[in-house]
Amino acid sequence: MPGFTHLHTASGFSLRYGASHPERLAERASERGMDALALTDRDTLAGAVRFAKACAAAGVRPLFGAELAVGAPEPSARQARRRAPVRGGAFVDESTPRVTFLAREGAKGWAELCGIVSASHAGSDEGGIRSAGAAGGRGAAAGRGEGPPLLPWAECAGDGLTVLLGPASDVGRALAAGRPDRAAKLLGPWRERFGDALRLEAVWHGRQGTGPGSLRLAARTVGFAAEQRIRPVLSNAVRYADPGMGPVADVLDAARRLVPVDPRGELDSGEAWLKDAGAMLAAAERIVEAAGYRRDTACRLLEQTRATAAECLVDPEDDLGLGTVHFPEPHLVGAGRRTAQRVLASRAAAGMLRLGYDTRRDYWERVHQELDVIAHHGFASYFLTVAQVVDDVRRMGIRVAARGSGAGSLVNHLLGIAHADPVEHGLLMERFLSKRRVVLPDIDIDVESARRLEVYRAIIGRFGAERVATVAMPETYRVRHAVRDVGAALSMDPADVDRIAKSFPHIRARDARAALEELPELRKLAGEKERYGRLWDLVESLDALPRGVAMHPCGVLLSDSSLLARTPVMPTSGEGFPMSQFDKDDVEDLGLLKLDVLGVRMQSAMAHAVAEVERATGERVDLDALDFERGAGDPATYRLIRSAETLGCFQIESPGQRDLVGRLQPSTFHDLVVDISLFRPGPVAADMVRPFIAARHGRAPVRYPHPDLEAPLRETYGVVVFHEQVIDIVHLMTGCGRDEADRVRRGLSDPESQGRIRVWFAQHAAAKGYDAETIARTWEIVEAFGSYGFCKAHAVAFAVPTYQSAWLKTHHPAAFYAGLLTHDPGMYPKRLLLADARRRGVPILPVDVNRSAATHRIELVSESRESEGSSPEGPAPEGSAPKGPEALSPAGPGPAGPGSVAPGAAGTGGPVRWGLRLALSDVHGISEAEAARIAAGRPYASLLDFWERARPSRPLAQRLARVGALDAFGANRRDLQLHLTELHRGARGMGGGGGQLPLSGGRGTASAGLPDLSPAERLSAELGVLSMDVSRNLMDDHRAFLDELGVVSARRLREARHGETVLVAGAKAATQTPPIRSGKRVVFTTLDDGTGLVDLAFFDDSHEACAHTVFHSWLLLVRGVVQRRGPRSLSVVGSAAWNLAELVELRREGGLDAVAPRLAEPVPTSGGDPTHGRRIQLPTGYEMHPWADLRPAGEEPSKVRKLWHQSPGSAG
Amino acid sequence: MTILCVRFQLPPKYEAALPGLLGLLEDFTPVVQALPPDGALADLRGAERYFGRGAEELARLIRVRALALYGIDCAIGAGPGPLLARMALGRAEPGEPCAVPEDLVVDFLAERPVAALPGVGTATARTLCEYGLDTLGRVAAAPLSTLQRLVGARTGRELHEKANGIDRGRVVPNAVSRSLAAEHPFAHDELNPDRHRRALLATAEELGSRLRALDTVCRTLTLTVRYADRSSTTRTRTLPEPTAHSPELTRTAYGMYAALGLQRARVRAIALRAEGLTPAEEAAHQLAFDPTDDKLRRIEEVADRARAKFGPRAIVPGTLAA
Repeated sequence: MPGFTHLHTASGFSLRYGASHPERLAERASERGMDALALTDRDTLAGAVRFAKACAAAGVRPLFGAELAVGAPEPSARQARRRAPVRGGAFVDESTPRVTFLAREGAKGWAELCGIVSASHAGSDEGGIRSAGAAGGRGAAAGRGEGPPLLPWAECAGDGLTVLLGPASDVGRALAAGRPDRAAKLLGPWRERFGDALRLEAVWHGRQGTGPGSLRLAARTVGFAAEQRIRPVLSNAVRYADPGMGPVADVLDAARRLVPVDPRGELDSGEAWLKDAGAMLAAAERIVEAAGYRRDTACRLLEQTRATAAECLVDPEDDLGLGTVHFPEPHLVGAGRRTAQRVLASRAAAGMLRLGYDTRRDYWERVHQELDVIAHHGFASYFLTVAQVVDDVRRMGIRVAARGSGAGSLVNHLLGIAHADPVEHGLLMERFLSKRRVVLPDIDIDVESARRLEVYRAIIGRFGAERVATVAMPETYRVRHAVRDVGAALSMDPADVDRIAKSFPHIRARDARAALEELPELRKLAGEKERYGRLWDLVESLDALPRGVAMHPCGVLLSDSSLLARTPVMPTSGEGFPMSQFDKDDVEDLGLLKLDVLGVRMQSAMAHAVAEVERATGERVDLDALDFERGAGDPATYRLIRSAETLGCFQIESPGQRDLVGRLQPSTFHDLVVDISLFRPGPVAADMVRPFIAARHGRAPVRYPHPDLEAPLRETYGVVVFHEQVIDIVHLMTGCGRDEADRVRRGLSDPESQGRIRVWFAQHAAAKGYDAETIARTWEIVEAFGSYGFCKAHAVAFAVPTYQSAWLKTHHPAAFYAGLLTHDPGMYPKRLLLADARRRGVPILPVDVNRSAATHRIELVSESRESEGSSPEGPAPEGSAPKGPEALSPAGPGPAGPGSVAPGAAGTGGPVRWGLRLALSDVHGISEAEAARIAAGRPYASLLDFWERARPSRPLAQRLARVGALDAFGANRRDLQLHLTELHRGARGMGGGGGQLPLSGGRGTASAGLPDLSPAERLSAELGVLSMDVSRNLMDDHRAFLDELGVVSARRLREARHGETVLVAGAKAATQTPPIRSGKRVVFTTLDDGTGLVDLAFFDDSHEACAHTVFHSWLLLVRGVVQRRGPRSLSVVGSAAWNLAELVELRREGGLDAVAPRLAEPVPTSGGDPTHGRRIQLPTGYEMHPWADLRPAGEEPSKVRKLWHQSPGSAG
Repeated sequence: MTILCVRFQLPPKYEAALPGLLGLLEDFTPVVQALPPDGALADLRGAERYFGRGAEELARLIRVRALALYGIDCAIGAGPGPLLARMALGRAEPGEPCAVPEDLVVDFLAERPVAALPGVGTATARTLCEYGLDTLGRVAAAPLSTLQRLVGARTGRELHEKANGIDRGRVVPNAVSRSLAAEHPFAHDELNPDRHRRALLATAEELGSRLRALDTVCRTLTLTVRYADRSSTTRTRTLPEPTAHSPELTRTAYGMYAALGLQRARVRAIALRAEGLTPAEEAAHQLAFDPTDDKLRRIEEVADRARAKFGPRAIVPGTLAA
């Protein structure tokens, strides 16, 4: 029997509709003897590339199509408005008819398919690329503006498309309603437009009645087709690959419609799987019999289906453009009359002169070599394109830096793309591009994160919307979302669902049950596992299905004007950028040029810091002009780095890096490069760190496998750290050339080719005259480090902002923290940065509407006002000073008040000191517009003045009052809140209860006799509103209790002996479970106790006792043993952990006697390795614990806005 | 020390026992005020002298009698006024009456949260807490004008007095003003409006028959819809005339439900409460020329009798029979 071709198949890329991945569908089609399979996802082609690749692997011919919602030819005026629900929201409207389109005629069909998919999305956003053209015929969508994708009837056309009208189409619905007359009328426009390419699709899912999937509708469709002389086809409207997946489809339906599964309502039939030819023949027979034909007519129906499939010929290589490259047209990148290669060559030569390399012979040789390679591949326009983008960005005054292997190319350096000189740093072009490398080279550029979208707009402006698109990033189901959606579908208690979802670390959905079995912190949940029945099955079956799509944070497609014919494009929500539906891997397969424009927050932070310094002092700091790449650099900066107090510095702020920096003690730029390269999963796993440090500090001799290898290895004391070194070693030992050596290096990560390379290496090295022992030793090194070293070009690119940030922290600390807090680049919560600032003696000035701007600022604090350098209170704001009318003169143009000292005063008041004034933008719930309005209206003379001119919303004004931003207006904070409420009431024209405003002469605000916030309430308000403890460290309140317990503070811990058992406590800052060499799962966490940071490690023997507490509490008390590995390297290995908040509460209520039983509770002990030795094999040959390297459970510390308890009296 | 506040621990939907329990209280004093659905206030001013026992002892006596006669336990609070008695009840447990002596009133109140004060609902309590007035002591300390600015002139004054222990309330004998409630829970999150309406019909029928069994009519009907996230929506409507007629109650309930316009709301329970109950013989009924209404009422009477004889499920509306 010949195979059957499914023409209507939805994969998981049909968001919350399809239940199987395209790969699985292709595989099953092949297993079930089908020669071809169509993929017709809902509203998207995102799965097409994967599907094409999977089909090629499975030996199945792919057909491409899409199922789209189509607007009616003449929009009906019927718009019955339903009453707005008081609760729960309205139903998701899925009433638009849906039609399946298949690309029939090669590239043309594909281009048309892309066109209609793009058109269907264009209406869903005003800023969409095609909205102007589509506006005329948008039909029903015009009234909606935002809404689900809808193809306007006017755009619904194409000569290369086949159209299937199934049960969900308007024609099908009329038939289901028993109205063949209406169906005939509705068919008219379709027939007119698509003529012979029109098909009627019959689907039988064994349902009762006449609805979609019923036998009667299928029979009616076949009968109607015969009557109208339109060819019918049979399909199964496939949603999942295998039988028995009906419940999954139900859950997806529920998640899409946002309703629970109704067990008594209509469930999925369970028939919509990829049935084989026999089953489809049986279905065809039933349908034709029901339609009143003889049974053998079924063959005609199947024949029609087959013929339709046979017509749809789209070749993945020729028509989708897999494997071809498209660059923007040369005239767009400044090569109008000459060829791109000629332009590139002359620009490179110009760069040589500009940078003063024109006298250096080696530079010229290298440039010519590189240009040869570029010409060989024909990539000249690519380089010119990137150079154009970088030039444009730089012209906009945005900080830009190249990263990645592109930094290894001298041409890039000459064009101004890469900052560092590759010859100086020994970076290799071959690592980036060589004659033997066939993949597209990639150059990544870093820009300021805050201005990334501006850069996108500039790129679109330069090349035109028809050549530029951002890249999609499918968001897939992982365990937490899967639990939430399945739980909601199964009508579970929302509180339960929330609790379950939150207890999981961020793991794959399919690992849910395995995690329950094996993770100690889930032990309690595992105990009640049975209660939730089908939940786990369904959660695991949702694994990795896409559930949404977002814009990829950095990829930008640049192509020629044929881009829109090769990729479907949709507008991103919010910005309305054109976004390709393909993700970054697909895009590479399609040969679309992708430029990674990364928004780096640190660049923004540094830009802000520099701008602040200039604003406040007039001093211009040029970070790019700091000369540090050669020579010794700035000693103070390296002193800071060596002290390991590098919180906030780019790349070196994590606990592990602080430890490494402390041991490595960098003193030159090259040391920083090495430091960054060493702190990578590979080098850490391969234990390159210890020998390196030993050799660096002279504790171990420097050894080379052979004197010839001294040249590449000298800079790293004989330890292989960089890719470039491996390339050099292979090149030196075998004489194969660096380009071949790079290919060999790539082959090392694959265990199969490793064996071949080994033989090849031994042969060639022996031929060069090396003895067997040298070869064996060298091979050992190459094998161990080859695949997992770090590209030096990356490291150099990283080390530049590392040094720059450390330099700022050393010389302009207040501005540096202002930048950090404004752009929040790091891994730590903001409150920790604030604590660090306090420790480093930067005065923290609270939010004040008369002084704060939208961003964090620096402010001059005269020395005389500062009693103590690191006073935790910071300088008293003028709010606490007695208020006189002169303090706030409404007419005063500049910032008024005694606290602001004019820059000139600095000369009289001793050394200048800069404080950090917190920003309005950190106030919870403030909008950009509000912050800007408040900042623009400064200064305010009184509360009323503030209320009238800044026009804050009431909740915002209340929050400002609670954190003391309005203290300047007199009265206490609660009184201010009352006045604000009355102002609000007055504004609404309702008349306040008190009648008139209690303002004395429009200046100060009268007291209303309400109790002021207590210190604890103030702290709570600060955390709640700003997420930062501004007035003092929140741990200070517990100091007495901690002293009772004998807890060692972070400062005192520095003097602790190795092996001493101590108690430490603090607020959790960051928790990680990175992969480590031993293949175990270690929980690393950092506590902040106000005096400093304590780095903790929990090994797996303590997980049973600690893991849950560590992940799910915010304030921790930990018992542990001090570990010392160097003068600056100190950590505590935890053995028991308690939730400090709980203990504090017990202490408050029941005294120490209540605390004691809690501490006396037995600590559960570990019952061996619950994973039974299961490990994940890494390509390097090392093993990883299956649950390491995940984002652990528990709330992000940066999101914690609540104090340990919420007393009934605390505000809000 | 003369007012008792009693809360009987009635099993759900057993409010028919309340009149009997009120009768028990009336053995002690004629001044008894029902606090539906399960409480009562009793003024023992005369009883203390008559029985020669203190309020606390009488409280124990009442508990023993309620247990002996009805098998129902109760918690009792005692205080100098109704307000304080109610607040004392909040502290009391069955078997452990809580009494507030006259001279300790201010201390007793000072530590109590504002929400414990009768008449302070969630909204008022939230407002007060927002301004740091979380205990009655703090409320008492705040200036009267400030309180009035916070919660309005009249509420502010009352709050101020109550927080200072000035209890102007008294026990008003009223035997009947009570309410009845019926609730229909769903096993799953229910979105289907048809099933919602069936639940409404069932609860309205139940309420009607229970009202008629007590020979009372209700003035207002309250619909409460509870959702999966434990929140709820409440709507109240006053009936055109006090009634216990099931179709009338059903129609009103349907009207309130339709006004909610629910679509995707995950309903876990639907509850109806009949309030403002008065004796049936005092209720007026507008006669109509249309005989249908009259017939329906006569059928209802017959059905009630059949139910009384053969159980509540003997006769039910057709839609509920399935």
